[in-house]
Amino acid sequence: MNLKELTIKEAHKLLEEKEITSVELTKAHFDGIKKHDGNIHAFLSLTEKEALESAKKVDQRISKGEPIEMLAGIPAAIKDNILIRGAKTTAASKILENYIAPYDATVIKKLKEEEAVFIGKTNMDEFAMGGSTENSAFGPTKNPVDTNRVPGGSSGGSAAAIKAGFSVYALGSDTGGSIRQPAGFCGVVGFKPSYGAVSRHGLMAMASSLDQIGPITKNVDDAAAVFEIIRGADILDSTSADREWQSYHDKPVDIEEIKFGVPREYFTHGLAPEIEKNIKAVISKLEKEGAQIEEISLPYSEWALAAYYIIMPAEVSANLARFDGIKYGYSKMSNLKDTYLESRGEGFGAEARRRIMLGTYVLSAGYYDAYYTRAQKVRRLIKQDFVHAFKEVDAIITPTSPTTAFKFGEKTQDPLSMYLADIYTVSINLAGVPAISIPIKEVNGLPVGLQLIGNNFEDIKLLKIAKIVEDMSK
Amino acid sequence: MLTKTEVEKIAGLARLKLEDKEKEKFAEDLSSIIGYIQKLSEVNVEKVEPMFGGTDLESVTRQDDETKSISNPEMRKQILNAAPNREGDYFKVPSILE
Repeated sequence: MNLKELTIKEAHKLLEEKEITSVELTKAHFDGIKKHDGNIHAFLSLTEKEALESAKKVDQRISKGEPIEMLAGIPAAIKDNILIRGAKTTAASKILENYIAPYDATVIKKLKEEEAVFIGKTNMDEFAMGGSTENSAFGPTKNPVDTNRVPGGSSGGSAAAIKAGFSVYALGSDTGGSIRQPAGFCGVVGFKPSYGAVSRHGLMAMASSLDQIGPITKNVDDAAAVFEIIRGADILDSTSADREWQSYHDKPVDIEEIKFGVPREYFTHGLAPEIEKNIKAVISKLEKEGAQIEEISLPYSEWALAAYYIIMPAEVSANLARFDGIKYGYSKMSNLKDTYLESRGEGFGAEARRRIMLGTYVLSAGYYDAYYTRAQKVRRLIKQDFVHAFKEVDAIITPTSPTTAFKFGEKTQDPLSMYLADIYTVSINLAGVPAISIPIKEVNGLPVGLQLIGNNFEDIKLLKIAKIVEDMSK
Repeated sequence: MLTKTEVEKIAGLARLKLEDKEKEKFAEDLSSIIGYIQKLSEVNVEKVEPMFGGTDLESVTRQDDETKSISNPEMRKQILNAAPNREGDYFKVPSILE
């Protein structure tokens, strides 16, 4: 039995049946990391001692015959912009190189109640800004499928860790595709829940009206298992929604009752023909099995990326104003103004500075209405596209990305070409709806992600539908 | 096309010091992105209400409870330890008045 291939469900069952111990499971993952992460660089820091202590505690409970929680004793990798108390948390930025988190994020608190085992913090683009992890101040992560290629980003370390078998599951964050795109590039499952479904307290804010935490896993069942633990209202995140959630294990959906929408705007110029072919093959199969397929239109998709690259940097410029060289982080202290200028100028990498400046520009006097207010109006139109679509269909099928994983350096010189990799994922964040990327048939040995989009707060229904599509694409 | 001077002005507003050799590259990058986002001028947004924020939730309020403000001494210590420059339990900041 290869312990590094286990899913959450399988590991949970084996732990309960005392076939394996959590310490064995945890050690097997650390062995893999020690052997191969020198090459992959999925992790920025490891917490082996704490992980083994947590594992031992779970093993003691099991040996006493106590029932255990679904995630108890199972290794988890956490993106380095999510705070674990006492652990180094850098967001892959030089400005937080030595920062120790003073409290737990709400998602971490919830996972601790489950007695999860945290093995380490994963690499990412600095402050979650990027689509390749090449913006990490501590060097990029490599794609385990092909180490000449990027793992995607910004949650590239989390996706690579799952593909490489370094962890059973991981948490990422998604502002414009940062969970789904790397999941697609690495051939794993990545789920961005509805905006408001999961508390962001303790997630370093990038663009607050878009950010959401979600799981990266080996399959849809596991994504649901993690989501059912981390979701829920939180007084410390006033955008988190208080609602009654269905259970993933309630009655499954019947394929003949599902109507899938296929938006024509997502299958036009820029999409690699082989990816289109594989997505269309899944759609035909679904239709053959009895699902209804309908071509739909999301007419404002064309302008989503432009609206995103106004709204996101505007929020970035406000959120990153807290890094002042005074309260924490990298500091070059002199007179007040130079303290700001130098601490921030030297502490932030190029992409962070580019987006802060872009945000400052679109919010500045004289440009505010032309850019920022206009973008918020277009955002409303994009949201309405989805509201209309979900009156007709249950889920929308698109590619996750227009291409497979690209090579290192291919897009670093031209930021706009990097931004275009987000073309199919950003609308979802602007609209606040949930979406999941699941791996389908590869192209030239490289993973392809299929994106399924659900209606607002119909996360469980989306996961159930995703399970059907996953079974069908095997 | 943004000029080097405009980039300097924006960087100043954002409190970012830039190296001289970076300024031209930033001018070029920002110009190309701004060129792209101008695409939004094609959209007719007449009578559309702007969508500020990710939800339509009303403002959420709670009681101001001072006992919840870093009452944990360990956390308090960690927060203060993170300060680059401190004196006792205070953050030390550069003087702003001569």
